Order: sequence, then C-alpha cells, then structure tokens
Amino acid sequence: MTAILQILFDALSLGSLYALGALGIALIFGVMRLVNFAHGDYIAFCVFAMLWPSIDAAAIVFAGNLPTYLLIPLILCVGAGLSVLSEILVFRRFRNANPATMMIASFALGFVIKYLLLMLYSSRPKSIDLWSNLSQQIEIFGARIPPLQVITICTTIVILLALTAFLKRTRYGLEMRAAAENFTMARMLGVRANLVIMLAFALSGMLAAAVGLILVTQTGTVDINMGANIMLVAFVATVIGGLGSLPGAVIAGFLIGGLSSLMQAYLPADARPFRDAFVYGAVIVMLIWRPNGLFSSKAAKQRV
Amino acid sequence: MRNYLKIGMGAALGALMLSAPAAFADDEKIVVGFATAASGFMQAYDKPAEDAARIRIDEINKAGGLLGKQIEIVAADTKSDRAEGAKAGLEVIDKGADIVVVSCDYDFGAPAALAAEGAGLVSFFICAESIKAGIQGVGPNSFSASVLAAVQGATMAEWAYTKKNARNFYRLLDTWTEYNKGICDGFDYQLPKLADAKLVGEDTFKNDDASIAAQITRIKSLPQEPDAIMLCTMMPGAVSAIKQLRAAGINSMILNGSGVSGSYWLSAVPDLSNFFVPDQGSVHGDDPNPKVNEFNAKYKEVTGGDPSSQYVYPGYVMIDVWAKAVERAKTTETAAVVAELEKMKDEPTLFGPRTFTSELHHQNRGRYLITEVSGGKPKVVDEWTISEPIPVDYLASK
Repeated sequence: MTAILQILFDALSLGSLYALGALGIALIFGVMRLVNFAHGDYIAFCVFAMLWPSIDAAAIVFAGNLPTYLLIPLILCVGAGLSVLSEILVFRRFRNANPATMMIASFALGFVIKYLLLMLYSSRPKSIDLWSNLSQQIEIFGARIPPLQVITICTTIVILLALTAFLKRTRYGLEMRAAAENFTMARMLGVRANLVIMLAFALSGMLAAAVGLILVTQTGTVDINMGANIMLVAFVATVIGGLGSLPGAVIAGFLIGGLSSLMQAYLPADARPFRDAFVYGAVIVMLIWRPNGLFSSKAAKQRV
Repeated sequence: MRNYLKIGMGAALGALMLSAPAAFADDEKIVVGFATAASGFMQAYDKPAEDAARIRIDEINKAGGLLGKQIEIVAADTKSDRAEGAKAGLEVIDKGADIVVVSCDYDFGAPAALAAEGAGLVSFFICAESIKAGIQGVGPNSFSASVLAAVQGATMAEWAYTKKNARNFYRLLDTWTEYNKGICDGFDYQLPKLADAKLVGEDTFKNDDASIAAQITRIKSLPQEPDAIMLCTMMPGAVSAIKQLRAAGINSMILNGSGVSGSYWLSAVPDLSNFFVPDQGSVHGDDPNPKVNEFNAKYKEVTGGDPSSQYVYPGYVMIDVWAKAVERAKTTETAAVVAELEKMKDEPTLFGPRTFTSELHHQNRGRYLITEVSGGKPKVVDEWTISEPIPVDYLASK
C-alpha cells in the first residue's frame, strides 16, 4: 500500500511540473494558434533573472536574495514582461501569418534568448539554493513527499481552475476566446484584441516563471538549457491533451509524468535507460487511437 | 600515357602535401595551435584548460624556450561547432602549428584532431576522458592530457572499499554522455575484484530529468541503506541528483567522477557531507604538493579567478609532457615526438604521473587526490592509485 502511494506521489510530482508547463503552451495556442517554442527559454530566462550577469563558475546571486514575498512577484513579472515583449516585438508582426511561420519565428526567438543568456552568463550551469527546506521530505501514510510537490500540485490545480473560470466567466476571457476564433471580426465587434492577446502572453509568461521557480528549487541548478526538456514534454502534452484544451493539457501532463515514473519504477534494469522510448511509444499509440488528442477543442477541429 | 600522367600528378601532389608543413615551419620558433572553442557552449570548458596551457608555455619561454626557440601560440575558434572544428584545425595547421590542441570533449575535438592527423601532426585533446580521444578514435598521433573516466570510477570503488570499508554498493548512472558511462564502466570493472563487495542495486536516470523521485524510491526500498552510491553523472544534472538524494534523507557515502570537482556548485546543497570526488589536483588551496598551490596562485594572477575545477590542470600537463618529449627528441618532427611520448612511463607532472604506450595515448591508471566534502566544505583527505591499470581491451570493448 505504502509502495503504491509512494509511486503515486512520485508520478504526481513529475506530472504536475509537466502539467504547469503544458498549461502555458496551451493557453497561447488556444488564443492565437501559436505553438510557442520559446516557452522553454522563458523558463531559463526567469531563473537567470535571479543572478547577476557574470561568466564566473560560481553564481552571483542578486535578485535571488530578496525575501520570498518580493522575489516571487518579481520573477512572475519578469516572465510576464519577457512574454509580452516578445508578443509586441515578434509575434504581433505575424498575426495573419500561417501557424507554421509563427512556430518558426518562436524557434528563432528561443535561440535569441538562449544565446543572450549564453553571452551574459556563459554556458556553464550555475547553482543556487532556493528554499531548500521545501525539498526536505515529510511522511504521509508512510510515503515520502516533499512540501514542494504538494505546492506544485495544488498550484497547478488552482491555476487551471482560475484560468478556466477566467476564460469562461469574465469579459476578458470572452474577448480572448473571440479573438482566438476570428481576430479581424473580433476587432470589428469592438474587442480590444491586442490587449487581450497581450494579457494571454502575460499569463503564459507567468506560468513559465512559476515552472522556473519550482524547477530551480527542486534541482538547485540554473542552466541555459534548463527549460528544453520541460518544453518538449509540455508540447507533447498539449498535443495529446488536444491542442487548445486547457484541462486536456493538464491531464496529459500528469499522464506523461505518471507514465514516466511508472516506467522508471517497473521496467527491468536493462530497459530503463530506454524509458523515454517507451513513454513516447505510448504517446504514438495514443495519437493513433485519438488523432485529435484526448479533449480536442471544437475550434481546433474546424481548422483541420 | 594518361595513367602515367595521373601517377605523376599524384606524386607531385603528394610531395607538395608532404613538404607543406616543412615549408611553413619556421626555424626561429615553435608553434602551438589551439583549435578550441573561444565562443559558444564549449568555451566555458575549453578556456580554463587553455589558460593553464598558456601558463606552462609562458614558463617555458621565460626559461629560455624549447630547443632554444620561443614557443608561439596561434589560435582558431571552433565556435563550439563540429564543422567549424575541422576548419579551425586546418586554420592552425596553415598558420604553421607543430602541435594541434583540440577541445576538451571527444565529439567536439575530434574534427580538428582528425585534421591534424591528416596533416601528420601531433594532436592533443586538452582534457577529454574517453578512450576514443587518442589512437582508438583519431589515430596514432593523437593524445589526451587527462585521465580516462573509467579510472575515476575504479579509483572511487577501490578507495571506498579499502579506506572506508564500503561493502554494499549502489550504482546510479546518468545515461546522457559517454563520460558518465565511462565512470560506471570503471566501477563495474573494479567491483568484482574487491572480495565480498557487492552491488545491491542499480538504476539509471537522465541528466535533464526534472525529478528522480522514482529512482530515490528504489534506493529507499532496499532492506538496508547502501554503504556507498556510485553516482556516474556530470553537470548540470549532478547537482539536481545530489540535492534530491540528500533531501530524501539518503545519507550513504556518495562516490563521484571528477565531473563534480570544484566548489562553485556547493551552495546549491548546503551542508553536503559524506561526499567524495577524485581530483588530479586540488583547487581548494590544500594540495599536498605546494607547487600546485603556487600554480593556483599564478592562475589567479593571469585569469583573475581561482581555478573552478580540476579540469584546468590537464592543460598544463599537456604542454609539460609534450615539451619534454620535444626536448628529448630534439625536434618537433611528429614521429620522433610520438616515439618519445610513448617512452614515458609514470612521467612525473604536477598533477600526477603520465604513461603513454603504443597501444594507449591516455591514462588507464592514475593518481587521484580524494576530496571529501563535509559540512559543505571540500578538503583533500587522501590520495589513491588503483592497484592495476584497467586493461585496454576492456575499455575498448565498452
């Protein structure tokens, strides 16, 4: 029983991180059909924002020394700011372009951010100790779980509920969905489309910052490639979840994390190095079974 | 007739190629060519060792030079790109290099090393630790200045067994790089040779895994905490794994490769203890050899910072052994220098002895300082040389 509970916690702990990443990507996709591949680099950028630029091996912690109640809003603002800036400088120019063009633009933007970080901080990974008491494990029914995981899981669920409510129940949410459906028409009907899209980018940027904070607390490492793996998994999760569906992305994020943990726990030792091959094999099977994802949104279907 | 013409042209071309390096060679100076990364991802790894190499060159020049000639440095940037690496190799050869120094990593250094091999020049990997960095992967004129990754794993296993009475070992491998695998290969070779030491479990992870919770659960579910965990990994995933292992309350001794050498990352895991790293020399100012501490001071003077990890040192060793070979051969002629290098057996250097043979241009045995991290503070506590070299056949089969 304890063993099963432990595996469940392990699965949830990885899954919640993926889910949070997937949410950030699904949000932008839902609003403007853009798969933002720079999302992983937003994550890295937000974490590097805590350090003073230097190419020394040892990190010079700067903003990271702020008290928690200032640090969290600051990093969330950095994420939101970067994301909004990339909308204004880059994605706005592609508003009527084909989604593939926008995707390529997002790749390019990702490279620019990554090489900017490389120039400022060098390619060498840096270390920072952030809230390490959150990683000290507590026991629940004999299973170990670090408080950080509980926070991550709860944050993911709360953000999902809040976002869904925002999109379904508020005026801005309605405008956002209208802009997503038909940008020109929405504008003609009086939707301040640029504003709502910027709002979506700000939210997505904050999600990237949240993932960055959780990741750095867990691993203690700051690296220019730190967002790449999460970005890849999160992208796959948004596809399996059904592009554009927020709950779909979250559930798929949990599924991939869970599957990955289960494979690690139950595969024989010789097969374990190929864990990801099994996980992505399952993804392929899933997509053959449901090509539009688990919860494909109506909007996505019409476009196919 | 046409065939004769072809042969004639071929011979002329061949003669031209053979004479080319000679034509560029300058009698007044000896040229060391650095085809390393001055920008991009590898720069952070190449630069420190290159700085150390430059320090040794400077020392030699100040002491009157090599064969009475001053050593001159030429450099070309590989831009951390393999295709650019080959070009950089050719560029330093064109500039008259007598030896081509290539990137720290086999994959990134090989293109330039192969260019050197093609031109019949000696190439030296500045700190690569794969057996391929040398005869096996490049050719008979290629060398590496560091020690094989496998020696690190074997050293830690034998040392922990002998000095720390470790009997139950656990093996945790990060499948990201050949280097990581190399550490565990050495551990796998050594462990069966240690009477009544046993492997109580093993697992793998990936360097960029966001969480190793499942791997930790497997260790936690062992009937007894293992005496030692052999952790075959490198930065940046190493810090994450160590942090998570300790946070989960696993207090076993953690044995590592040199990839985690240095103290720059220790702030991420406050109060880390019972943690052991093999180092070729100490960057913490407590090396048993005072000359190493002098070198550290000199390095700081030149670069403005302390050496961040032991990977600075192979750069110094490289110029040191190569210059000795040139001195003994009385020429920079490749065949003669390689022959002198291959005569080296336990050649003393500041950072442990070096042996090269016609079979292996790398170290399958080496002296390592053992650095213990206790209460978050690193300190050299011992030194160890494995009792037997790891056989070349075993290494090549991996």
